[in-house]
Amino acid sequence: MARRTQRTTASLSFPVWAWLVFFVFTPLALVVWYSFGYKPDLFTAVSTDQLSFDRYGEVLDGVFMPMFWATLRIALTGTLLCLLVAVPFAYWMAVKVDPRWRPLLLALVLVPFWTNFLVRTIGWQVILAPSGMASDVLNAIGILDGPLDILYTRGAVQLGVVYNYLPLMILPLYVVFERLDPSQREASRDLGAGRWRTFFSVTVPDALPGIASGCLLVFIPLMGDYLTASVLGGARGTMVGQIVARQFTSAQNWALGAAMAVTLMAFVLLTVLIVAALFLLVRAVVRRARHLDLGVSP
Amino acid sequence: MSRRRAPDPVRVLAPRAEAGRISRRALLGGFAVIGTASLLGCGSRSIASTASTDGALEGRLNVYSWGDYENPDNIRAFREDNDVTVQVDSFASNEEMIAKIGASRGTSGYDVLVPSGQFVPMMVANDLLSKLDHSLIPNLANLEPAFTAQPWDPGNVHTVPKSWGTTGFAYDQTLIDGRPTSWQDFLDLAAGQASGSVSLLDDAWEVASIYFGAKGIDPNTTDPADLDAAEAYLTEQLAPHVRNFNSAPTQSVIQNEMALLQMYNGDARLAFSESDDADRWRFVYPTPTANLWVDTWALARGAQHVDSAHAFIDFMLDPEVAIGEVDWNGYPTGVAGQRALAEEWELDMLDLIFPPEKVVARLTPAELTDAQDRLTSILEQVQAKAG
Repeated sequence: MARRTQRTTASLSFPVWAWLVFFVFTPLALVVWYSFGYKPDLFTAVSTDQLSFDRYGEVLDGVFMPMFWATLRIALTGTLLCLLVAVPFAYWMAVKVDPRWRPLLLALVLVPFWTNFLVRTIGWQVILAPSGMASDVLNAIGILDGPLDILYTRGAVQLGVVYNYLPLMILPLYVVFERLDPSQREASRDLGAGRWRTFFSVTVPDALPGIASGCLLVFIPLMGDYLTASVLGGARGTMVGQIVARQFTSAQNWALGAAMAVTLMAFVLLTVLIVAALFLLVRAVVRRARHLDLGVSP
Repeated sequence: MSRRRAPDPVRVLAPRAEAGRISRRALLGGFAVIGTASLLGCGSRSIASTASTDGALEGRLNVYSWGDYENPDNIRAFREDNDVTVQVDSFASNEEMIAKIGASRGTSGYDVLVPSGQFVPMMVANDLLSKLDHSLIPNLANLEPAFTAQPWDPGNVHTVPKSWGTTGFAYDQTLIDGRPTSWQDFLDLAAGQASGSVSLLDDAWEVASIYFGAKGIDPNTTDPADLDAAEAYLTEQLAPHVRNFNSAPTQSVIQNEMALLQMYNGDARLAFSESDDADRWRFVYPTPTANLWVDTWALARGAQHVDSAHAFIDFMLDPEVAIGEVDWNGYPTGVAGQRALAEEWELDMLDLIFPPEKVVARLTPAELTDAQDRLTSILEQVQAKAG
């Protein structure tokens, strides 16, 4: 009977396996395979009859690396800004608000997803234009004198990505905050901790899984985003996803594009590992520093 | 668990004797192999063949064109007159379209394509286009003679000219003094009054042609020394002043985002006519030369709705239909007598639709040369250094 259950479970996971094989592993393997190829002539995007690491050399020599650092800066800043905005908001929504209103607020957070990603981003282009709404408002209240000069800068891209990815940060945070047991906060207060101490020593450590998944959900797609930068970035706010896309579309050099994509994936993974390692290190140091000896000797 | 279950939940369409032997693992493995094979199959050389004409229009037509290029009124009229459902998809560059058509080897499902002239010989050489049947396109007689003898397709074997235009620049007269006339003026303004407010086309040939035009070099040059000089100048002297790269910067004009924009003549007309303050804008056909591009109607290899495709191309060559296209996208077609008809229809800004004859005489059609890869890498360098 145990074996039978196992078999049933295995068959239930079949769609997942089929999906992974078809739509993740096979295309990914093809991308890696193409990255060792080359572009034989103007009309052929890739050929793999001679394999080499040359494309990776071209990736590291070309404009990829400076673009990668610029993108990393936008992505890390964007993730941090999303976190700063989302933590208080998600906490308020999950803890402070009357539970009757929570579904409505949650729905409001999701409303932007009803509109296409591209259309929302173009909306910002209209708002941020020198003759746009933001310019008029800032001039009217006297913060600004003359047309707003932000469209097609890195600042516009930064604003665009925070706007586009914020819900992806709010949702996991809301879920963890909502599941926290209120009695823990009460206990913390009873033991003499203030509001801030309670928040940072009790609530935040319990919410860490949500914070981590929120940061990953925002950071990883953000590193590959090229749409926001294409619409709002202009010449100064370009991101690395745009040069990968260019190789596949206008330059028609799939070998180089594939090598760029693989390099980008490797670097993103590396960044996530480094940040995770740093985080664990800091946490270990803090725990050691805060170590509390309750004085119960064995 | 009262219900009886078959021991193996995999259902297959196979001989009964075989079915018993197909395990889940084998099935999964089979899927993986089929998946890989079908993906790798994209690279194989065999091409699906085009359906043959039978005189009866098919009920459907799939057109693959540039974004927002055909007049929807014309598409609707063709659909209603012939009872043919027309599906129009769009691409943003010739390369993108060719990649899709090339990769699908005749199974893309598209019937009519709109490549630019200089890409036609390569598409023909790689078997991506089918020959047109002239007996099904009587309106070919409406073409101006110049458009039946284009170097990339003499005699209209594979293509029919659709729309043509040229490249120039628009500038905001409230921000820029003087009356620029040449590409050298464009470079001077970009480095001067318009610095930081310059938009370039996102196209390797066009960006390089600014430098070649200013220096009096043939824009189709493949001389490595010229290309090196272009790269050095464009990355160091022009790139720092550029704010954006956009192949259709009409919105940037309407929203007054830029002072100086490289753009196509028809797009400039479209932008000016939608601007609240059209008087502040002026368009220049720069000296000494610029691109003369011609987009064409072509029949895709592997097309399945061949009669409808020919009927559609023939329909578009009707002078009254063609002028509707001009009205919509602001570019002249290859059909004769369009200027007179445009005046009759009272279209505005005719000088932006029809470049003056002395301008047309000095234009240089872009060619696809061995320098293409180099031009792409120059554009990449310019974009990395821009802003």
